[in-house]
Amino acid sequence: MSFEEVDQGTHVVLAPEGKFNLVAAPPFKARIDDLVAAGKSRLVVDLHAIDFIDSSGLGALIGGLKSARQQGGDLRIAAAGPQVKAVLKLTNLDRILSPYESVEEALHDW
Amino acid sequence: MTGDVAPEGKEYTLEGFAVPDQLDAVHDLLGQAAGEHPELDPMDVMLFETAIIEIANNVVEYGKPEGTVRWKFTIRVHDDEIEAELDDTGQSFTPERGKDMPGEDAEGGRGLPLAEALLDQIDFERLGDTNHWRMVRRLGQIPQS
Repeated sequence: MSFEEVDQGTHVVLAPEGKFNLVAAPPFKARIDDLVAAGKSRLVVDLHAIDFIDSSGLGALIGGLKSARQQGGDLRIAAAGPQVKAVLKLTNLDRILSPYESVEEALHDW
Repeated sequence: MTGDVAPEGKEYTLEGFAVPDQLDAVHDLLGQAAGEHPELDPMDVMLFETAIIEIANNVVEYGKPEGTVRWKFTIRVHDDEIEAELDDTGQSFTPERGKDMPGEDAEGGRGLPLAEALLDQIDFERLGDTNHWRMVRRLGQIPQS
């Protein structure tokens, strides 16, 4: 999986593509940890190009959320497709990782 | 004869090593089965795919000796259900069935509970020197929300 990253100053938008699975999750989580360590703790993960997520991908998002919040920031997800939304709901993670409809919406108060 | 409806009872089979790169082949196998069964609801296919990939992940992550475990996937589409069987040559083990979904903070442990939530039947047994999984999702039971 490749992902684009755009640093907007107040926040960073990460846009992974393809399958967010056990192959893709570790490098993605490592990148989030690097960003948070560098003081970039307001993160938006744009999921519009993700067509499949598994429990490893969910784990990376939760890990990233915890890292970001520990540094006073947050991790928000945007533009999730139907499979991602279904899996978030089934795992009850939609309570803490509420999907925003768009990146713009996720940024509403940043 | 391409493009014809798949004959009743057709099996879709994949054999190879249970390694991360092969997960795409599992997605492709289900994609082939779904492509030849346009009557399947895409939501059923998507949820079944999520479940069987979680079980495949378990074999890839925990099957030993690592990198040498072989597997065979078989998918069948029936009138009222979709079924997958997975045989792997990994070590004998006992899956922890029936566990609750982990709490919101947990970074792992959701794979098997997620698969169980998406399947109507999930059987596991050790047959000789292989682990055998059978996964079934009944069709047309998607809640309207």
